Amino acid sequence: MIKYLNTLLIGAWALNSIAFADAAAPDDDLEKELAYLAAERQAVGTVFTASKMEEPVDKTIATTTVITQDDIAHIGARNLLDVLRLVPGIGITQTQFGWREIEVRGVKTPTSEKVQIMLNGHPLDHNLQNAGSAWVYDDLPVDTIKRVEVVRGPGSALYGANAFLAVINIITQDAKDLNGVQTSAGWGSFDTQQYRASWGKQFDNSAEAALHFNFTDTNGINSPISADSLSVQGLNSNAPGRSQLTEGRYDLEWQLGYQDFKLDGRYINKKAGAFFGVTDVLSDVRTQQDYNNYFLRLSRNWKITDKFSLDTQIFHDFFSYNNQWQLAQNLFSHTGLEDTRTGGEIQANYQLSDTQTVITGFSYAKEQQDNLIDELGADPQHFILSLHTAQERARRRWGVYLEDVWDPLKNLRLTLGARYDRYNDFGGTFNPRMGFNWEFIKNYSLKFSYGTAYRAPAFGELATANNPVLLGNPSLKPEEVKTFETGIIAHPVAGLMTQATYYHSAVDQIISPTSIQGVTLQYQNNDSLTAEGVELEARYDFDGNLQGSYISANHVLQRSVRLGRQLADVPRHRTNLTANWAFDNTWSSFAHVLIKDGTTRELGDNRNDVPGYALLDLGLLGKNMFGRKVDISFNVYNLFDKRYYDPAPASLNFIGDYQMAGRAFFGHVSLKF
Amino acid sequence: MKIINFGKVLILLTTFLVSAGFAQSNKVLIINSDNGVFRYETIAVEFKKVLQQSAYQWTELNLNSHVDAEVKLKQLIQQENPELIYCIGTKAYSLALNHAHDRKLLFSAAINWRRLDIGEGTYGVANELSPAQEISLLRYFFPTIKNIGLLYNDKFSSEYVETIKKDALDLGINIVNQPINDAQEISDSLNELLPKIELFWIISDPVVLSSKASVQQIFKSAQQQRKPVYAYSDVYIEHGAVMAISADLATIGRQSASLALMMGKGKMPEGTVQSPAGSTVTLNKCALDALQFDFNQDALDSVNKIVECDK
Repeated sequence: MIKYLNTLLIGAWALNSIAFADAAAPDDDLEKELAYLAAERQAVGTVFTASKMEEPVDKTIATTTVITQDDIAHIGARNLLDVLRLVPGIGITQTQFGWREIEVRGVKTPTSEKVQIMLNGHPLDHNLQNAGSAWVYDDLPVDTIKRVEVVRGPGSALYGANAFLAVINIITQDAKDLNGVQTSAGWGSFDTQQYRASWGKQFDNSAEAALHFNFTDTNGINSPISADSLSVQGLNSNAPGRSQLTEGRYDLEWQLGYQDFKLDGRYINKKAGAFFGVTDVLSDVRTQQDYNNYFLRLSRNWKITDKFSLDTQIFHDFFSYNNQWQLAQNLFSHTGLEDTRTGGEIQANYQLSDTQTVITGFSYAKEQQDNLIDELGADPQHFILSLHTAQERARRRWGVYLEDVWDPLKNLRLTLGARYDRYNDFGGTFNPRMGFNWEFIKNYSLKFSYGTAYRAPAFGELATANNPVLLGNPSLKPEEVKTFETGIIAHPVAGLMTQATYYHSAVDQIISPTSIQGVTLQYQNNDSLTAEGVELEARYDFDGNLQGSYISANHVLQRSVRLGRQLADVPRHRTNLTANWAFDNTWSSFAHVLIKDGTTRELGDNRNDVPGYALLDLGLLGKNMFGRKVDISFNVYNLFDKRYYDPAPASLNFIGDYQMAGRAFFGHVSLKF
Repeated sequence: MKIINFGKVLILLTTFLVSAGFAQSNKVLIINSDNGVFRYETIAVEFKKVLQQSAYQWTELNLNSHVDAEVKLKQLIQQENPELIYCIGTKAYSLALNHAHDRKLLFSAAINWRRLDIGEGTYGVANELSPAQEISLLRYFFPTIKNIGLLYNDKFSSEYVETIKKDALDLGINIVNQPINDAQEISDSLNELLPKIELFWIISDPVVLSSKASVQQIFKSAQQQRKPVYAYSDVYIEHGAVMAISADLATIGRQSASLALMMGKGKMPEGTVQSPAGSTVTLNKCALDALQFDFNQDALDSVNKIVECDK
């Protein structure tokens, strides 16, 4: 019996051991393999930045477009405008002053003050007198740009003032991206030349440095101008003549880092003529605009724990202009001023869990305007002092914000945030933002968001002085916009991305010159408009032998209504069609068709509507040649030399419209050392 | 005789001096993503063995041993001034890339190397075998197969899957691929995929293979639909894979060392990234019989290891 029990026990033990060994050995090997795969999985992070935290573009609640350095190279972009005009919902048009207007979702103004442009996350709305960033940044060179992120819709809940219709964040190459010297040169029509030199190095002691220098010079497109207010009266005039939009600009950007500190900034000098002029009289070459702009930012990231970090920064921004405008045949004005903004910001980033992150921050800034110049003269050599049309002025503002990004389910992201800003001149404003992104079916996500934003009154609107026809208004309140948008982003098959977005924006308290007592104009908050539209996008990236090739299309159907009428000079439809064909790893060709609908006129403007048009651009790009050191591109814009026009305002109705550039060429060479 | 002895001494001395000088100028910095990971460590051990035999000097940094590995890496590069940095695993390579400056880089054990930022002066040994080689063998073993399916995550494996598809097409085989975002999608994706294919291929995708449960789910679904599974590693044979072609880890270590020696001597290897030179073919005859799945008996000569059913 005992023997039998012993045999049974030994047998059971043996069986157990065998079974255990059989189960353990493969499990052990599999564990090792899974540990390896887990280690590899952890090595890759997310790469897209949106809304002050890294998140995949598909997961954001905002409608976001990212244009990469590679995209920019294929487009053959000459400047930022060539990049932006491909983004759904954005249109570019000429102003009479020279700089370009950036229309977003059916709303545009001459100074594009409702669009916040940022450089590496730093706001560039440095012109306090007239607001906006387009003065200097509209035609920013693109050779040093790594990525452009365009977030359409209100952004004040995070970024504060002037992130009203869109935020355009330009991210430039840093030391790591350069790691050596890169130079490029471009030449093209209208005697355009561009040069760029960049250097970047990461040093062994954790220091790093990147420097960029850009230079651009062009004679401008020399559009024919048939008439001005003098010529139509038979008076002595420069009309008929040509636009004098010459431009020369250079800039220097620096990014210096040591351990967790970073000192960065950019200085820009831009000198330009005018497209038509500041009044209704065609300017000659004696109209000269001269802008100086820089910012300097010292920042530090403090990593307190793995889940908690602080971003701190102090900054100083400077903007000045020193402009000479031809007001009449023998009358010139000389105006100038200096604007500064000095402040700081602290932002805390706390990862509550793997699925929830909270961001909160506080910012403070002092804005100041001084060193005013106002002179008049019969010619630019004989100016005499005149009364100031602007005012020396200071303003203090602070803001506090909070954002919670939470994934309660694997396929659902909720974002809730708000910001309160207080200004010492017009008071406080509160702007919330909320929304969700729900992947309701695999590869199909539904987005919804609601948010408000504000645009702070500019100094010029608050305190224009000594102007016989236009008065400032110190009682102005900020402009407000309430936007909701919803859309679907889908990847129906591998390589295909499609997106459809509907938006509705109600813009209130618009600041515009309003007639008082029938003769004088004064800035008032008494205008409003409604903008709604549908943005459709699709992009298909080929694979296999065609890898690197893609086709994409976006179409916008928009309606912007003010006083019951479609907004003047804004098209109802706009379409971009692009195709990139990669012949091999080096050569590719690019085609772009822009189709723009005609635009209506303002009430009382009897001119015919501005006709729509279609333009074709073609490009050829050779990348990574001669040991991956040389890139070459050649682009033809408006291949068929289509004559097309951007709308001139009603005040210039006697000239027709602005004839834009015909066929134009641009060649570009880039070298890496 | 004296002259001969003197000559021998001279040759020995010269060899020593040359070796010493050579070794001095050929320091290698080995960065291991995690020396607790079997694959990384096996490769590292074999790599160092070859270096030792060739009198090379090296310094080793295990990223998992340092809280702030990046700072340590910068210090090591500054102190050691290595001519070559050998990176084992993606994490090591990604970190080294930021700090290597003009130094030569060599890597291995990085999943889907095509997604890495490979610059001039960078060489590597792929983690995966050549897809063309694998597909050729699959076709040799299973000549009737026309459609092979696989799951993958776009972020980790898109480039590798593209290469597989292209190579398969050249060999007359259609790859039906299904991207997934996380392992929870495996079951539904397989239900959709398996009816369209004759064989399922497990590739080394870290999202698909995120846990034991994922692996079990794959084999459970495949078994339910009676579809054979082919895998990139023989660790899946015991779980029911009918065949596996595994890259030999020790060989990857030695192959990397050979590349390092060539780079040290200024002889740049042909091709930027080499496929692993050694592989083992394992056939699970037991699983094939259970599925009653036909295979080419003549191909048995190519098999290194046959797994029969336990009697």
